[in-house]
Amino acid sequence: MNISGILVITSPEHVDDVSRQLRALPGIDIHFTDNNTGRIVITQEAETISEEVNGLKHIRTIPHVILAEMSSHYFEEDREVLDAIPAELDDEALKQDNVPAYLNE
Amino acid sequence: MDLTRREFLKTSAATATATAAGISVPAAVLAESGKGDADIQWDKGVCRFCGTGCGIMVGTKDGRVVATKGDPDAPVNKGLNCIKGYFNGKIQYGQDRLTQPLMRMKDGKFDKNGKFQAVSWETAFDEMTRQFKKTYNEMGPAGVAVFGSGQYTIPEGYTMAKLMKAGFRSNNIDPNARHCMASAVVAFIQTFGIDEPAGNYDDIEHTDTVITWGANMAECHPILWARVSDRRLTNDNVKLVNLTTISNQTSDIADSEIVFKPGSDLAIQNYLMREIIKRNAVDHDFVKKHCVFATGPYDIGYGMRPTDKYAFEAEKDIQVKELRVTLDKHEAIAQRRKEGEVVEQKNTKKPVKHWMISFEEFKRGVEPYTLDFVAEVSKGDANESMDQYKAKLKALADLYADPKRKVTSFWTMGFNQHYRGSWVNEQIYALHLLLGKQAMPGNGAFSLTGQPSACGTAREVGTFAHRLPADMVVFNPKHRARSEKLWKLPANTLNPKVGSHITKIMRDLEDGSIKWAWVQVNNPFQATANANHWIKAARKMDNFLVVSDPYPTVSAKVADLILPTAMIFEKWGLYGNAERRTQAWRQQVAPPGEAMADVWQHLEFAKRFTLKEVWGEKTVPGLKAKGFEDGKLPDVLAEAQKMGYSPEDTLYDVLFATKDNLKVKWPDTAVAKGHGNHIAEKLGDGWFPEKALFNEYREFGVNFQHDLAEFDVYYGDKVRGLKWPVIDGKETQWRFNEKYDPYCAKGSGFDFYGKALKALPSGDLDKVTKKDKTSLAHKAKIFFRPYAAPPEQPDKNYDLWFSTGRVLEHWHTGTMTRRVPELHRAVPTAQLFMNPDDAEKRGLKRNDLVWIESRRGKIKALLETQGRNRPAPGYTFAAFFDEGVFVNKVCLDVTCPMSKEEDFKKAAIKVYKA
Repeated sequence: MNISGILVITSPEHVDDVSRQLRALPGIDIHFTDNNTGRIVITQEAETISEEVNGLKHIRTIPHVILAEMSSHYFEEDREVLDAIPAELDDEALKQDNVPAYLNE
Repeated sequence: MDLTRREFLKTSAATATATAAGISVPAAVLAESGKGDADIQWDKGVCRFCGTGCGIMVGTKDGRVVATKGDPDAPVNKGLNCIKGYFNGKIQYGQDRLTQPLMRMKDGKFDKNGKFQAVSWETAFDEMTRQFKKTYNEMGPAGVAVFGSGQYTIPEGYTMAKLMKAGFRSNNIDPNARHCMASAVVAFIQTFGIDEPAGNYDDIEHTDTVITWGANMAECHPILWARVSDRRLTNDNVKLVNLTTISNQTSDIADSEIVFKPGSDLAIQNYLMREIIKRNAVDHDFVKKHCVFATGPYDIGYGMRPTDKYAFEAEKDIQVKELRVTLDKHEAIAQRRKEGEVVEQKNTKKPVKHWMISFEEFKRGVEPYTLDFVAEVSKGDANESMDQYKAKLKALADLYADPKRKVTSFWTMGFNQHYRGSWVNEQIYALHLLLGKQAMPGNGAFSLTGQPSACGTAREVGTFAHRLPADMVVFNPKHRARSEKLWKLPANTLNPKVGSHITKIMRDLEDGSIKWAWVQVNNPFQATANANHWIKAARKMDNFLVVSDPYPTVSAKVADLILPTAMIFEKWGLYGNAERRTQAWRQQVAPPGEAMADVWQHLEFAKRFTLKEVWGEKTVPGLKAKGFEDGKLPDVLAEAQKMGYSPEDTLYDVLFATKDNLKVKWPDTAVAKGHGNHIAEKLGDGWFPEKALFNEYREFGVNFQHDLAEFDVYYGDKVRGLKWPVIDGKETQWRFNEKYDPYCAKGSGFDFYGKALKALPSGDLDKVTKKDKTSLAHKAKIFFRPYAAPPEQPDKNYDLWFSTGRVLEHWHTGTMTRRVPELHRAVPTAQLFMNPDDAEKRGLKRNDLVWIESRRGKIKALLETQGRNRPAPGYTFAAFFDEGVFVNKVCLDVTCPMSKEEDFKKAAIKVYKA
């Protein structure tokens, strides 16, 4: 479980429009908006980091979004065994006699 | 997580973000937000990743990092964070974290062809020492080497540099920062006589114009880009121009994007300077008072080996250019010579030599760089019309030349990783100096860096093959004497011969002239171009390779011994960012298993050597310096005894746990505030190594133009780093500007007081005509440097340009970011970005698996024809984070001959279906 605070900046005239599109995305809550400076503060909640990263990328593709950056992160419940190591980084590589085969292709 | 707690955390996250964005938060919400993280302990820290140096707050609970947030009090990022900030709390918890030493073993003992087995630290150090002494006794200081890092903390770089240079009397220590900003350093030293930028990040808020050259700031320096965007969007007068070889995200909010051919930045800058002169936009008062003109030889090669003995057959046609170059049409015009002329490369050994020229000669140098010529040389996108391209170049000249406009130029690897990287860096200062737009708020050429302590450690501490702390160099007898005094060494302990730079260490391993090497805080076997050679060198040659690493990287996998290393928040440390800001953090959590920090590894290794083993007479091949004509470092043991040392003392006693340093006690409750120090606790002799050694290091810079504050100052609750020189407790905002910099002479206005290379002979554009040296103290140099063509370019066989670099969510070789669970699925493997027309011509589709082949090797990658990097026809790009798509097997190990920094940006490849 990841919770991030994200700052979104748009031009003042697009705040309403961008906010509407943000609300339609999964896991997004809008907390503060500043209509004068076009700033919108949201939180994003996601199961995995890849969802979180993809969510941020999605936000950046919304028309009139000038900037979207994560600012704060909580991940304290994320203690599950990390099962997603790329195959070639697996410990097995260390048990072989020589350099892993893919390095010598 | 229960619902209430989740809501609390969201409120906390939102409040922190709002505060960073300057949005006022109602008091009631503020009070509520505290509940979310009441049980989390927060402490200030610095981001582990790029050279921006963002301040972060690190939250721990039960001995584990559980949260991070942008530090609202940090002037660099003002509470914001980019996606990499997110990883700071995650990177230490990968499943394959190394927690005990691993050594290649067979039948219970070390064997180069054995399998990795867990061993004790004792066994690891025993074998490491035995192997070191075998090589050291056979080959002397030249036979051993250290691959250091721009990610070393300051104490780590300092202990390793001191151990190598003062202890083992070897200058074979060079950082991965060589690959990152060595060209920037050469230009700083050559132009200003002192390293590092005049300005700082506040230039962004002061300027009217931001020009980016070979820097995809939006993706690689997002927080600085957020500041640039903010400036652009709140002020209609502010203009942005992005110069790049591949269209990228930085262009999204730019007013103009200029796509140019690789290497032609050299020509574009000369065009701009020619225009400035033609338009009479030169600030003659500034130039006359503060600058001189200079140039140097063009026949300096490309930093390759001088022989093809070790080259693959396919590499030989490029390698021969190290010896002689046939000038092409454009070079001939740019260098005032004839097309087809064969130029012997006579100055490969002395590429940095230079001499003064007159303003008239400078004008003659830039004269061939007309708009027509430069547009023809440089237009990078075949789909763009020549008229439109010329209009853009002209508009760029308008921005620079406008006397009312402040201009800040930023660059990173596009300039630095360049076969003429030092030249192109010198040119940008030349441009700004001609205009008198340098070293003042909003006006200046500013070199961004890629690593968190490329400045603070690699450069300031001097973990390079030629450097000593505070910009001193090993080949200067006065600098050696000053260092020997500060380090309490007998005279002539230090070795005057420049050691091997990082690419040369690889070449030395390949040809057997180095047989023992230690890799720390970097992954050179993945990060060095032309990697097939170096992997073979590691595994097939008779050598011993030690790699300190938190994870099994490519370098660890080709090693003989792996030492498990503590990561950033598992130790105390300081970093120095790109704007001269030194920042500190405390140990937040203990390292896992038996992992130990690098400083401890250095100190323990030092305990295994006595003075009599290292300070006797040593032969150094090629040593010719004055006073060392016999090619030997003298026996200094007798002198050492006079100083009170015994030949039986260890390097630990003499260099590190000195009488003075032992007085700096651990525990130090005033600074530690409840935080542990696993190094001090494991050493158990009661001192605080990081503090003692930082304060010792600091002495090098005090009253020597590089003043740092004392250790404790950086740990103050209110301090968020300080920009050196720090004088009377105050940081320096703009150097060389009398208004801000106490080192400037009174009444000077501007004072380029750097001391290096400040007496020169004079001549014309081609040669020295008057050998007598003239002093140019307090002045900066405006260099003329011509356009030279890239040594490897697309041809019939290898028909595409290839460049490499970073992507937003992965960093360098992915050692840390690829461990973040599931993140690699977001960008699963490095993709090859290609123009859709080029793909179609080759019968390729998006997501096809393709071979990328160069003269040096081939690799497989997935083809991408859409998305964030949009190459023009003829250009391709792939990032280098993924060891499964081993990009550096394809890249060319050409270096800038002056800086020895590799050019990762210009290789010729062919692409076909796998």
